[in-house]
Amino acid sequence: METFVIQFLHGLVYGMLLFLVSSGLTLVFGMMSVLNIAHASFYMLGAYFSYQMLKMVGNFWAGLIVCPILVGFLGILMERFLLRRVHAGGHVQEFVITFGILFVINESVKWIWGTEPLPVPIPPALSGSVMIVGSIYPAYRLFILFFSLCVLALMAYVLLKTRLGITVRAAVSDRDMVSALGTNTPFVFMLVMGIGTWLAGLAGVIAGPFISTYPGMALEILVDCFVVTVTGGLGSLLGAVVASFLIGQLSSFGILFIPRFAIVFAFLLMAIVLIIKPSGLFGEKA
Amino acid sequence: MAGIGAGVLAILFPYILPKFQLRMVTEIIIMALFAMTWKMLLNEGGLFSFGHALYFGLGAYASVLGWLHIKGLSFMSGIFLGGLVAGLVGLILGAFLVRMSGTYFALLTLAFNQLIWAIVWKWRDVTGGDDGLGKFPKPDLLGISMKNPANFYYVSLIIVGICLFICWYFTRTPLGNVCVSIKSNEERAKFIGFNVNASKLILLTLTGFFSGISGALYAQFQEFIATSTIDLGMSTNVLFMAFIGGIGYFWGPLIGSGIFVYLSEYLSSFTDRWEFIFGLIFIVIVLFAPQGILGIVKRKK
Repeated sequence: METFVIQFLHGLVYGMLLFLVSSGLTLVFGMMSVLNIAHASFYMLGAYFSYQMLKMVGNFWAGLIVCPILVGFLGILMERFLLRRVHAGGHVQEFVITFGILFVINESVKWIWGTEPLPVPIPPALSGSVMIVGSIYPAYRLFILFFSLCVLALMAYVLLKTRLGITVRAAVSDRDMVSALGTNTPFVFMLVMGIGTWLAGLAGVIAGPFISTYPGMALEILVDCFVVTVTGGLGSLLGAVVASFLIGQLSSFGILFIPRFAIVFAFLLMAIVLIIKPSGLFGEKA
Repeated sequence: MAGIGAGVLAILFPYILPKFQLRMVTEIIIMALFAMTWKMLLNEGGLFSFGHALYFGLGAYASVLGWLHIKGLSFMSGIFLGGLVAGLVGLILGAFLVRMSGTYFALLTLAFNQLIWAIVWKWRDVTGGDDGLGKFPKPDLLGISMKNPANFYYVSLIIVGICLFICWYFTRTPLGNVCVSIKSNEERAKFIGFNVNASKLILLTLTGFFSGISGALYAQFQEFIATSTIDLGMSTNVLFMAFIGGIGYFWGPLIGSGIFVYLSEYLSSFTDRWEFIFGLIFIVIVLFAPQGILGIVKRKK
Protein backbone atom coordinates (compact mmCIF):
# COMPACT_ATOMS: atom_id res chain seq x y z
CA MET A 1 0.00 0.00 0.00
CA GLU A 2 2.78 2.40 0.97
CA THR A 3 4.74 1.71 -2.20
CA PHE A 4 1.55 2.16 -4.11
CA VAL A 5 0.90 5.62 -2.67
CA ILE A 6 4.53 6.69 -3.09
CA GLN A 7 4.63 5.41 -6.65
CA PHE A 8 1.39 7.20 -7.35
CA LEU A 9 2.91 10.43 -6.02
CA HIS A 10 6.03 9.94 -8.15
CA GLY A 11 3.83 9.53 -11.17
CA LEU A 12 1.82 12.58 -10.24
CA VAL A 13 4.92 14.75 -9.87
CA TYR A 14 6.38 13.63 -13.18
CA GLY A 15 2.98 14.00 -14.79
CA MET A 16 2.68 17.61 -13.61
CA LEU A 17 6.14 18.38 -14.93
CA LEU A 18 5.16 16.86 -18.24
CA PHE A 19 2.03 18.94 -18.21
CA LEU A 20 4.01 22.16 -17.76
CA VAL A 21 6.15 21.36 -20.78
CA SER A 22 3.44 19.94 -23.01
CA SER A 23 0.86 22.63 -22.23
CA GLY A 24 3.11 25.16 -24.00
CA LEU A 25 3.54 22.81 -26.93
CA THR A 26 -0.17 22.14 -27.28
CA LEU A 27 -1.05 25.83 -26.86
CA VAL A 28 1.28 26.81 -29.67
CA PHE A 29 0.02 24.01 -31.88
CA GLY A 30 -3.59 24.89 -31.20
CA MET A 31 -3.00 28.43 -32.38
CA MET A 32 -0.44 28.17 -35.11
CA SER A 33 -0.78 24.52 -36.19
CA VAL A 34 2.97 24.29 -35.84
CA LEU A 35 4.48 21.44 -33.95
CA ASN A 36 7.54 22.96 -32.35
CA ILE A 37 10.13 20.19 -32.18
CA ALA A 38 12.49 22.58 -30.41
CA HIS A 39 10.02 23.07 -27.56
CA ALA A 40 11.79 20.71 -25.17
CA SER A 41 15.06 22.50 -25.91
CA PHE A 42 13.56 25.61 -24.36
CA TYR A 43 12.75 23.52 -21.31
CA MET A 44 16.40 22.50 -21.17
CA LEU A 45 17.48 26.11 -21.56
CA GLY A 46 15.37 26.96 -18.51
CA ALA A 47 17.26 24.38 -16.46
CA TYR A 48 20.66 25.59 -17.64
CA PHE A 49 19.81 29.27 -17.16
CA SER A 50 18.71 28.45 -13.64
CA TYR A 51 22.02 26.67 -13.00
CA GLN A 52 23.86 29.74 -14.22
CA MET A 53 21.75 32.08 -12.08
CA LEU A 54 22.34 29.91 -9.07
CA LYS A 55 26.06 30.10 -9.69
CA MET A 56 26.07 33.86 -10.16
CA VAL A 57 23.36 35.09 -7.79
CA GLY A 58 23.03 32.13 -5.47
CA ASN A 59 19.26 32.34 -5.24
CA PHE A 60 16.97 29.70 -6.71
CA TRP A 61 13.84 31.86 -6.42
CA ALA A 62 15.33 34.73 -8.38
CA GLY A 63 16.10 32.21 -11.10
CA LEU A 64 12.55 30.89 -11.00
CA ILE A 65 11.31 34.35 -11.92
CA VAL A 66 14.01 35.57 -14.31
CA CYS A 67 15.01 32.45 -16.27
CA PRO A 68 11.61 31.52 -17.71
CA ILE A 69 11.24 35.13 -18.89
CA LEU A 70 14.57 34.92 -20.69
CA VAL A 71 13.53 31.64 -22.27
CA GLY A 72 10.18 33.11 -23.29
CA PHE A 73 12.00 36.04 -24.86
CA LEU A 74 14.10 33.63 -26.93
CA GLY A 75 10.89 31.93 -27.98
CA ILE A 76 9.50 35.27 -29.13
CA LEU A 77 12.67 35.92 -31.12
CA MET A 78 12.35 32.51 -32.75
CA GLU A 79 8.75 33.20 -33.75
CA ARG A 80 9.45 36.70 -35.01
CA PHE A 81 12.62 36.06 -37.00
CA LEU A 82 12.38 32.42 -38.06
CA LEU A 83 8.89 30.96 -37.96
CA ARG A 84 7.14 34.04 -39.29
CA ARG A 85 9.45 34.17 -42.29
CA VAL A 86 8.60 30.65 -43.39
CA HIS A 87 4.92 30.89 -42.44
CA ALA A 88 3.91 31.47 -46.05
CA GLY A 89 5.77 28.33 -47.10
CA GLY A 90 3.33 26.10 -45.25
CA HIS A 91 3.41 23.90 -42.20
CA VAL A 92 6.02 21.47 -43.46
CA GLN A 93 8.56 24.25 -43.72
CA GLU A 94 7.69 25.61 -40.29
CA PHE A 95 7.87 22.14 -38.83
CA VAL A 96 11.22 21.44 -40.46
CA ILE A 97 12.89 24.67 -39.39
CA THR A 98 12.24 23.82 -35.76
CA PHE A 99 14.45 20.75 -36.30
CA GLY A 100 17.33 23.05 -37.13
CA ILE A 101 16.57 25.16 -34.07
CA LEU A 102 16.56 22.04 -31.91
CA PHE A 103 20.04 21.14 -33.17
CA VAL A 104 21.38 24.63 -32.62
CA ILE A 105 20.04 24.96 -29.06
CA ASN A 106 21.07 21.47 -27.96
CA GLU A 107 24.56 21.87 -29.35
CA SER A 108 24.99 25.38 -27.91
CA VAL A 109 24.13 23.99 -24.50
CA LYS A 110 26.87 21.37 -24.88
CA TRP A 111 29.23 24.04 -26.11
CA ILE A 112 28.63 26.47 -23.26
CA TRP A 113 28.07 24.15 -20.31
CA GLY A 114 29.77 20.93 -21.42
CA THR A 115 28.29 17.47 -21.65
CA GLU A 116 28.61 16.47 -18.00
CA PRO A 117 25.48 16.54 -15.80
CA LEU A 118 25.46 19.67 -13.63
CA PRO A 119 24.41 19.59 -9.99
CA VAL A 120 21.58 21.94 -9.09
CA PRO A 121 20.98 21.78 -5.34
CA ILE A 122 17.45 21.79 -3.98
CA PRO A 123 16.71 25.21 -2.43
CA PRO A 124 17.37 25.04 1.33
CA ALA A 125 13.80 25.86 2.31
CA LEU A 126 12.58 22.74 0.48
CA SER A 127 15.41 20.32 1.14
CA GLY A 128 13.56 18.54 3.95
CA SER A 129 11.18 15.63 3.80
CA VAL A 130 7.57 15.07 4.68
CA MET A 131 5.99 11.98 6.20
CA ILE A 132 3.29 10.49 4.02
CA VAL A 133 1.52 7.26 5.03
CA GLY A 134 4.51 6.25 7.08
CA SER A 135 7.20 6.91 4.48
CA ILE A 136 9.49 9.83 3.95
CA TYR A 137 8.78 11.91 0.88
CA PRO A 138 11.04 14.72 -0.38
CA ALA A 139 9.43 18.10 0.16
CA TYR A 140 10.76 19.42 -3.13
CA ARG A 141 8.64 16.99 -5.12
CA LEU A 142 5.57 18.15 -3.28
CA PHE A 143 6.59 21.69 -4.16
CA ILE A 144 6.69 20.73 -7.86
CA LEU A 145 3.20 19.35 -7.49
CA PHE A 146 1.89 22.43 -5.71
CA PHE A 147 3.63 24.86 -8.02
CA SER A 148 2.40 23.13 -11.18
CA LEU A 149 -1.14 23.13 -9.86
CA CYS A 150 -0.83 26.89 -9.29
CA VAL A 151 0.37 27.35 -12.87
CA LEU A 152 -2.51 25.20 -14.11
CA ALA A 153 -4.97 27.36 -12.16
CA LEU A 154 -3.35 30.52 -13.53
CA MET A 155 -3.57 29.20 -17.08
CA ALA A 156 -7.19 28.24 -16.63
CA TYR A 157 -7.92 31.72 -15.30
CA VAL A 158 -6.12 33.48 -18.16
CA LEU A 159 -7.70 31.32 -20.82
CA LEU A 160 -11.23 31.42 -19.46
CA LYS A 161 -11.52 34.86 -17.92
CA THR A 162 -9.26 37.34 -19.64
CA ARG A 163 -9.51 39.08 -22.98
CA LEU A 164 -6.24 37.53 -24.13
CA GLY A 165 -7.54 34.08 -23.23
CA ILE A 166 -10.73 34.64 -25.18
CA THR A 167 -8.74 35.78 -28.22
CA VAL A 168 -6.46 32.76 -27.97
CA ARG A 169 -9.35 30.34 -27.67
CA ALA A 170 -11.13 31.98 -30.55
CA ALA A 171 -7.99 31.83 -32.68
CA VAL A 172 -7.61 28.14 -31.88
CA SER A 173 -11.03 27.39 -33.27
CA ASP A 174 -10.97 29.78 -36.24
CA ARG A 175 -7.83 31.74 -36.89
CA ASP A 176 -8.94 33.48 -40.06
CA MET A 177 -12.15 34.71 -38.52
CA VAL A 178 -10.34 36.21 -35.54
CA SER A 179 -7.95 37.90 -37.92
CA ALA A 180 -10.84 39.23 -39.98
CA LEU A 181 -12.46 40.65 -36.86
CA GLY A 182 -9.49 42.94 -36.44
CA THR A 183 -7.21 41.13 -34.04
CA ASN A 184 -3.53 41.46 -34.78
CA THR A 185 -3.00 37.70 -35.11
CA PRO A 186 0.76 37.79 -35.82
CA PHE A 187 1.18 39.64 -32.54
CA VAL A 188 -0.98 37.14 -30.68
CA PHE A 189 1.02 34.29 -32.26
CA MET A 190 4.21 35.85 -31.01
CA LEU A 191 2.75 36.30 -27.57
CA VAL A 192 1.49 32.72 -27.43
CA MET A 193 4.87 31.44 -28.54
CA GLY A 194 6.41 33.53 -25.77
CA ILE A 195 4.01 32.14 -23.18
CA GLY A 196 4.51 28.58 -24.45
CA THR A 197 8.28 28.77 -24.21
CA TRP A 198 7.97 30.62 -20.89
CA LEU A 199 6.05 27.62 -19.56
CA ALA A 200 8.74 25.29 -20.90
CA GLY A 201 11.42 27.41 -19.23
CA LEU A 202 9.47 27.38 -15.98
CA ALA A 203 9.28 23.60 -16.10
CA GLY A 204 13.00 23.49 -16.81
CA VAL A 205 13.86 25.61 -13.78
CA ILE A 206 11.87 23.49 -11.37
CA ALA A 207 13.02 20.27 -13.03
CA GLY A 208 16.69 21.20 -12.52
CA PRO A 209 17.02 20.03 -8.91
CA PHE A 210 14.61 17.13 -9.53
CA ILE A 211 16.08 15.55 -12.67
CA SER A 212 19.74 16.43 -13.07
CA THR A 213 20.64 19.10 -15.61
CA TYR A 214 22.31 17.46 -18.61
CA PRO A 215 22.28 17.87 -22.41
CA GLY A 216 20.11 14.81 -23.00
CA MET A 217 17.24 16.10 -20.86
CA ALA A 218 15.57 17.83 -23.81
CA LEU A 219 15.26 14.77 -26.03
CA GLU A 220 14.24 12.67 -23.08
CA ILE A 221 11.22 14.76 -22.25
CA LEU A 222 10.48 15.67 -25.88
CA VAL A 223 9.24 12.22 -26.76
CA ASP A 224 7.09 11.98 -23.62
CA CYS A 225 5.76 15.42 -24.44
CA PHE A 226 4.69 14.30 -27.88
CA VAL A 227 3.00 11.31 -26.38
CA VAL A 228 1.10 13.62 -24.02
CA THR A 229 0.05 16.19 -26.60
CA VAL A 230 -0.98 13.59 -29.14
CA THR A 231 -2.80 11.34 -26.70
CA GLY A 232 -4.61 14.28 -25.17
CA GLY A 233 -5.37 15.81 -28.54
CA LEU A 234 -3.24 18.43 -30.24
CA GLY A 235 -4.29 21.86 -29.09
CA SER A 236 -6.40 20.67 -26.18
CA LEU A 237 -5.31 21.89 -22.77
CA LEU A 238 -7.71 19.60 -20.93
CA GLY A 239 -6.32 16.73 -22.97
CA ALA A 240 -2.81 17.71 -21.93
CA VAL A 241 -3.82 17.56 -18.25
CA VAL A 242 -5.44 14.14 -18.54
CA ALA A 243 -2.72 12.65 -20.75
CA SER A 244 0.08 14.00 -18.54
CA PHE A 245 -1.55 12.32 -15.59
CA LEU A 246 -1.90 9.05 -17.54
CA ILE A 247 1.68 9.06 -18.83
CA GLY A 248 3.04 10.00 -15.41
CA GLN A 249 1.28 7.06 -13.80
CA LEU A 250 2.11 4.73 -16.67
CA SER A 251 5.83 5.42 -16.45
CA SER A 252 5.81 5.33 -12.65
CA PHE A 253 3.99 2.01 -12.30
CA GLY A 254 5.51 0.61 -15.48
CA ILE A 255 8.96 0.88 -13.93
CA LEU A 256 7.68 -0.75 -10.76
CA PHE A 257 6.15 -3.79 -12.45
CA ILE A 258 7.81 -4.31 -15.83
CA PRO A 259 11.04 -2.29 -15.71
CA ARG A 260 12.41 -3.70 -18.94
CA PHE A 261 9.60 -2.66 -21.22
CA ALA A 262 8.30 0.32 -19.26
CA ILE A 263 9.13 2.78 -22.03
CA VAL A 264 7.14 0.77 -24.54
CA PHE A 265 3.83 1.46 -22.80
CA ALA A 266 3.77 5.19 -23.44
CA PHE A 267 4.30 4.69 -27.18
CA LEU A 268 1.82 1.87 -27.24
CA LEU A 269 -0.77 4.08 -25.56
CA MET A 270 -0.09 6.84 -28.09
CA ALA A 271 -0.37 4.48 -31.03
CA ILE A 272 -3.57 2.90 -29.74
CA VAL A 273 -5.24 6.24 -29.04
CA LEU A 274 -4.29 7.53 -32.47
CA ILE A 275 -5.59 4.41 -34.15
CA ILE A 276 -8.91 4.46 -32.32
CA LYS A 277 -9.41 8.22 -32.21
CA PRO A 278 -6.98 9.96 -34.57
CA SER A 279 -7.59 13.37 -33.03
CA GLY A 280 -6.60 12.23 -29.56
CA LEU A 281 -8.72 11.90 -26.43
CA PHE A 282 -9.93 15.50 -26.37
CA GLY A 283 -8.96 16.79 -29.80
CA GLU A 284 -11.68 18.12 -32.03
CA LYS A 285 -10.34 18.09 -35.55
CA ALA A 286 -8.12 15.47 -37.09
CA MET B 1 25.16 15.24 -71.20
CA ALA B 2 25.47 15.83 -67.49
CA GLY B 3 23.78 12.51 -66.88
CA ILE B 4 26.23 10.59 -69.08
CA GLY B 5 29.16 12.41 -67.49
CA ALA B 6 27.93 11.54 -64.00
CA GLY B 7 27.39 7.93 -65.11
CA VAL B 8 30.93 7.60 -66.48
CA LEU B 9 32.29 9.24 -63.35
CA ALA B 10 30.30 6.85 -61.13
CA ILE B 11 31.82 3.86 -62.97
CA LEU B 12 35.31 5.28 -62.68
CA PHE B 13 35.09 6.22 -58.99
CA PRO B 14 36.85 3.11 -57.62
CA TYR B 15 39.83 3.86 -59.89
CA ILE B 16 40.19 7.56 -59.21
CA LEU B 17 39.13 7.92 -55.59
CA PRO B 18 41.16 6.90 -52.55
CA LYS B 19 39.67 4.11 -50.45
CA PHE B 20 38.37 6.44 -47.79
CA GLN B 21 36.52 8.56 -50.34
CA LEU B 22 35.11 5.49 -52.03
CA ARG B 23 33.59 4.43 -48.72
CA MET B 24 31.90 7.78 -48.43
CA VAL B 25 30.55 7.63 -51.95
CA THR B 26 29.15 4.17 -51.22
CA GLU B 27 27.46 5.50 -48.10
CA ILE B 28 26.05 8.44 -50.07
CA ILE B 29 24.51 6.11 -52.64
CA ILE B 30 22.93 3.89 -50.01
CA MET B 31 21.58 6.83 -48.03
CA ALA B 32 20.30 8.43 -51.24
CA LEU B 33 17.90 5.53 -51.71
CA PHE B 34 16.66 5.96 -48.15
CA ALA B 35 16.24 9.72 -48.60
CA MET B 36 14.48 9.07 -51.90
CA THR B 37 11.81 6.97 -50.22
CA TRP B 38 11.23 9.69 -47.63
CA LYS B 39 10.98 12.31 -50.34
CA MET B 40 8.58 10.14 -52.32
CA LEU B 41 6.21 9.93 -49.38
CA LEU B 42 6.19 13.70 -48.97
CA ASN B 43 6.30 14.66 -52.60
CA GLU B 44 4.05 12.04 -54.17
CA GLY B 45 1.71 11.42 -51.29
CA GLY B 46 1.98 14.56 -49.17
CA LEU B 47 2.84 12.34 -46.21
CA PHE B 48 5.43 13.65 -43.78
CA SER B 49 7.09 10.70 -42.11
CA PHE B 50 8.69 11.40 -38.76
CA GLY B 51 9.65 7.81 -38.16
CA HIS B 52 11.18 6.66 -41.39
CA ALA B 53 14.16 5.03 -39.69
CA LEU B 54 11.69 2.34 -38.68
CA TYR B 55 11.75 0.77 -42.16
CA PHE B 56 15.45 1.41 -42.67
CA GLY B 57 16.31 -0.17 -39.32
CA LEU B 58 13.92 -3.08 -39.78
CA GLY B 59 15.50 -3.81 -43.14
CA ALA B 60 18.94 -3.73 -41.57
CA TYR B 61 17.99 -5.94 -38.62
CA ALA B 62 15.94 -8.40 -40.68
CA SER B 63 18.71 -8.97 -43.21
CA VAL B 64 21.41 -9.27 -40.56
CA LEU B 65 19.34 -11.72 -38.53
CA GLY B 66 18.79 -13.63 -41.75
CA TRP B 67 22.50 -13.82 -42.53
CA LEU B 68 23.21 -14.82 -38.94
CA HIS B 69 20.60 -17.51 -38.50
CA ILE B 70 19.67 -18.83 -41.94
CA LYS B 71 22.46 -21.06 -43.18
CA GLY B 72 23.69 -20.26 -46.65
CA LEU B 73 21.49 -17.20 -47.17
CA SER B 74 22.92 -15.49 -50.23
CA PHE B 75 23.83 -11.82 -50.49
CA MET B 76 20.88 -10.83 -52.64
CA SER B 77 18.36 -12.94 -50.71
CA GLY B 78 19.48 -11.22 -47.50
CA ILE B 79 19.05 -7.77 -49.02
CA PHE B 80 15.69 -8.82 -50.42
CA LEU B 81 14.65 -10.22 -47.05
CA GLY B 82 15.37 -6.84 -45.47
CA GLY B 83 13.22 -5.09 -48.05
CA LEU B 84 10.46 -7.66 -47.74
CA VAL B 85 10.19 -7.42 -43.95
CA ALA B 86 10.24 -3.62 -44.05
CA GLY B 87 7.67 -3.61 -46.85
CA LEU B 88 5.44 -6.00 -44.95
CA VAL B 89 5.63 -3.84 -41.83
CA GLY B 90 4.96 -0.85 -44.06
CA LEU B 91 1.81 -2.59 -45.26
CA ILE B 92 0.62 -3.54 -41.78
CA LEU B 93 1.32 -0.18 -40.14
CA GLY B 94 0.12 1.49 -43.33
CA ALA B 95 -3.35 0.10 -42.65
CA PHE B 96 -3.45 2.39 -39.61
CA LEU B 97 -1.50 5.23 -41.17
CA VAL B 98 -3.65 5.75 -44.27
CA ARG B 99 -6.42 7.37 -42.28
CA MET B 100 -4.09 10.09 -41.04
CA SER B 101 -2.74 13.15 -42.70
CA GLY B 102 -0.55 16.12 -41.83
CA THR B 103 0.80 16.39 -38.32
CA TYR B 104 -1.18 13.40 -37.10
CA PHE B 105 0.38 11.20 -39.73
CA ALA B 106 3.83 12.42 -38.73
CA LEU B 107 3.17 11.75 -35.07
CA LEU B 108 1.75 8.28 -35.59
CA THR B 109 4.84 7.34 -37.61
CA LEU B 110 6.89 8.71 -34.71
CA ALA B 111 4.91 6.57 -32.27
CA PHE B 112 5.47 3.42 -34.35
CA ASN B 113 9.13 4.26 -34.77
CA GLN B 114 9.62 4.74 -31.05
CA LEU B 115 7.66 1.59 -30.26
CA ILE B 116 9.78 -0.63 -32.50
CA TRP B 117 12.98 1.16 -31.47
CA ALA B 118 12.22 0.49 -27.81
CA ILE B 119 11.58 -3.17 -28.56
CA VAL B 120 14.78 -3.50 -30.59
CA TRP B 121 16.71 -1.75 -27.83
CA LYS B 122 15.34 -3.88 -25.01
CA TRP B 123 15.11 -7.26 -26.73
CA ARG B 124 18.78 -7.97 -26.18
CA ASP B 125 18.64 -11.74 -26.80
CA VAL B 126 17.77 -11.25 -30.43
CA THR B 127 18.97 -7.79 -31.37
CA GLY B 128 21.96 -7.39 -29.09
CA GLY B 129 20.43 -4.22 -27.63
CA ASP B 130 22.96 -1.42 -27.16
CA ASP B 131 25.84 -3.65 -28.21
CA GLY B 132 24.36 -4.11 -31.65
CA LEU B 133 25.05 -6.98 -34.01
CA GLY B 134 28.33 -7.56 -35.76
CA LYS B 135 30.34 -10.45 -37.19
CA PHE B 136 27.65 -11.56 -39.59
CA PRO B 137 28.59 -13.26 -42.86
CA LYS B 138 29.18 -11.21 -45.99
CA PRO B 139 28.40 -13.75 -48.71
CA ASP B 140 29.88 -13.53 -52.18
CA LEU B 141 27.61 -12.48 -55.00
CA LEU B 142 27.92 -14.76 -58.05
CA GLY B 143 31.42 -15.62 -56.95
CA ILE B 144 32.45 -11.98 -56.60
CA SER B 145 33.74 -11.09 -53.16
CA MET B 146 31.73 -8.38 -51.46
CA LYS B 147 34.59 -7.76 -49.08
CA ASN B 148 36.33 -5.79 -51.80
CA PRO B 149 35.16 -2.14 -51.40
CA ALA B 150 35.13 -1.53 -55.16
CA ASN B 151 32.94 -4.59 -55.82
CA PHE B 152 30.62 -3.62 -53.00
CA TYR B 153 30.42 -0.12 -54.43
CA TYR B 154 29.40 -1.41 -57.86
CA VAL B 155 26.78 -3.75 -56.44
CA SER B 156 25.33 -0.96 -54.29
CA LEU B 157 25.31 1.33 -57.30
CA ILE B 158 23.43 -1.23 -59.39
CA ILE B 159 20.91 -2.13 -56.70
CA VAL B 160 20.24 1.51 -55.80
CA GLY B 161 20.12 2.40 -59.48
CA ILE B 162 17.43 -0.20 -60.15
CA CYS B 163 15.44 0.91 -57.10
CA LEU B 164 15.70 4.57 -58.11
CA PHE B 165 14.56 3.67 -61.61
CA ILE B 166 11.50 1.94 -60.19
CA CYS B 167 10.83 5.00 -58.01
CA TRP B 168 11.10 7.22 -61.06
CA TYR B 169 8.90 4.89 -63.09
CA PHE B 170 6.33 4.93 -60.29
CA THR B 171 5.90 8.69 -60.62
CA ARG B 172 4.98 8.10 -64.28
CA THR B 173 2.35 5.46 -63.66
CA PRO B 174 -1.35 6.28 -63.29
CA LEU B 175 -1.06 5.17 -59.66
CA GLY B 176 1.76 7.67 -59.11
CA ASN B 177 -0.45 10.39 -60.54
CA VAL B 178 -3.28 9.42 -58.23
CA CYS B 179 -0.89 9.83 -55.31
CA VAL B 180 0.04 13.31 -56.48
CA SER B 181 -3.62 14.20 -56.82
CA ILE B 182 -4.16 13.04 -53.24
CA LYS B 183 -1.36 15.28 -52.14
CA SER B 184 -2.82 18.36 -53.79
CA ASN B 185 -6.40 17.72 -52.72
CA GLU B 186 -7.40 14.57 -50.91
CA GLU B 187 -11.10 15.39 -50.79
CA ARG B 188 -11.27 15.96 -54.50
CA ALA B 189 -9.33 12.80 -55.31
CA LYS B 190 -11.77 10.87 -53.16
CA PHE B 191 -14.71 12.54 -54.86
CA ILE B 192 -13.48 11.79 -58.37
CA GLY B 193 -13.58 8.16 -57.35
CA PHE B 194 -9.99 7.23 -56.66
CA ASN B 195 -9.38 4.85 -53.84
CA VAL B 196 -7.33 7.23 -51.75
CA ASN B 197 -6.53 4.84 -48.93
CA ALA B 198 -5.43 2.01 -51.21
CA SER B 199 -3.12 4.36 -53.13
CA LYS B 200 -1.57 5.63 -49.90
CA LEU B 201 -1.16 2.07 -48.69
CA ILE B 202 0.67 1.04 -51.84
CA LEU B 203 2.92 4.07 -51.55
CA LEU B 204 3.69 3.27 -47.91
CA THR B 205 4.45 -0.37 -48.70
CA LEU B 206 6.64 0.56 -51.64
CA THR B 207 8.65 3.15 -49.72
CA GLY B 208 8.91 0.73 -46.79
CA PHE B 209 10.31 -1.92 -49.11
CA PHE B 210 12.94 0.36 -50.63
CA SER B 211 13.91 1.78 -47.24
CA GLY B 212 14.41 -1.79 -46.09
CA ILE B 213 16.66 -2.48 -49.08
CA SER B 214 18.79 0.54 -48.27
CA GLY B 215 18.90 -0.49 -44.60
CA ALA B 216 20.10 -3.97 -45.54
CA LEU B 217 22.76 -2.52 -47.83
CA TYR B 218 23.79 -0.16 -45.06
CA ALA B 219 24.18 -3.11 -42.67
CA GLN B 220 26.54 -4.83 -45.11
CA PHE B 221 28.32 -1.54 -45.68
CA GLN B 222 28.98 -0.95 -41.97
CA GLU B 223 29.40 -4.68 -41.23
CA PHE B 224 27.77 -3.79 -37.93
CA ILE B 225 24.36 -2.52 -36.87
CA ALA B 226 23.11 -0.97 -33.67
CA THR B 227 19.99 0.83 -32.51
CA SER B 228 21.29 3.97 -34.20
CA THR B 229 19.96 2.57 -37.49
CA ILE B 230 16.41 2.68 -36.17
CA ASP B 231 16.35 5.59 -33.72
CA LEU B 232 14.93 9.07 -33.94
CA GLY B 233 18.31 10.45 -35.00
CA MET B 234 18.20 8.42 -38.20
CA SER B 235 14.64 9.58 -38.84
CA THR B 236 15.86 13.17 -38.54
CA ASN B 237 18.92 12.60 -40.72
CA VAL B 238 16.83 11.42 -43.63
CA LEU B 239 14.68 14.51 -43.34
CA PHE B 240 17.79 16.70 -43.42
CA MET B 241 19.13 14.93 -46.48
CA ALA B 242 15.91 15.22 -48.43
CA PHE B 243 15.44 18.87 -47.54
CA ILE B 244 19.00 19.98 -48.21
CA GLY B 245 18.93 18.48 -51.67
CA GLY B 246 15.52 19.85 -52.48
CA ILE B 247 12.30 17.91 -52.06
CA GLY B 248 10.85 19.11 -55.34
CA TYR B 249 13.54 17.49 -57.47
CA PHE B 250 14.10 13.87 -58.38
CA TRP B 251 17.85 13.99 -57.76
CA GLY B 252 17.41 16.08 -54.61
CA PRO B 253 17.86 13.15 -52.20
CA LEU B 254 21.10 12.10 -53.90
CA ILE B 255 22.54 15.62 -53.72
CA GLY B 256 21.25 15.97 -50.15
CA SER B 257 22.73 12.71 -48.97
CA GLY B 258 26.02 13.66 -50.63
CA ILE B 259 26.14 16.99 -48.85
CA PHE B 260 25.03 15.44 -45.59
CA VAL B 261 27.62 12.65 -45.58
CA TYR B 262 30.49 14.90 -46.66
CA LEU B 263 29.52 17.75 -44.36
CA SER B 264 29.15 15.56 -41.29
CA GLU B 265 32.44 13.85 -42.08
CA TYR B 266 34.44 17.05 -42.58
CA LEU B 267 32.80 19.15 -39.90
CA SER B 268 33.24 16.40 -37.34
CA SER B 269 36.91 16.11 -38.22
CA PHE B 270 37.68 19.58 -36.91
CA THR B 271 35.01 20.24 -34.29
CA ASP B 272 33.02 18.18 -31.82
CA ARG B 273 30.14 20.58 -32.18
CA TRP B 274 29.59 19.97 -35.86
CA GLU B 275 25.88 19.48 -35.30
CA PHE B 276 25.68 23.11 -34.24
CA ILE B 277 27.08 24.30 -37.55
CA PHE B 278 24.92 21.78 -39.30
CA GLY B 279 21.80 23.07 -37.57
CA LEU B 280 22.68 26.63 -38.58
CA ILE B 281 23.22 25.62 -42.20
CA PHE B 282 19.93 23.81 -42.17
CA ILE B 283 18.04 26.81 -40.78
CA VAL B 284 19.59 29.04 -43.44
CA ILE B 285 18.58 26.60 -46.17
CA VAL B 286 15.00 26.36 -44.98
CA LEU B 287 14.81 30.15 -44.61
CA PHE B 288 16.36 31.22 -47.88
CA ALA B 289 16.24 28.18 -50.13
CA PRO B 290 13.15 26.16 -49.22
CA GLN B 291 13.62 24.17 -52.42
CA GLY B 292 17.08 23.07 -51.35
CA ILE B 293 20.42 23.22 -53.13
CA LEU B 294 18.94 22.07 -56.41
CA GLY B 295 16.36 24.83 -56.08
CA ILE B 296 19.19 27.40 -55.97
CA VAL B 297 20.91 25.84 -58.95
CA LYS B 298 17.72 25.73 -61.02
CA ARG B 299 16.85 29.31 -60.12
CA LYS B 300 20.23 30.55 -61.35
CA LYS B 301 19.67 28.99 -64.75
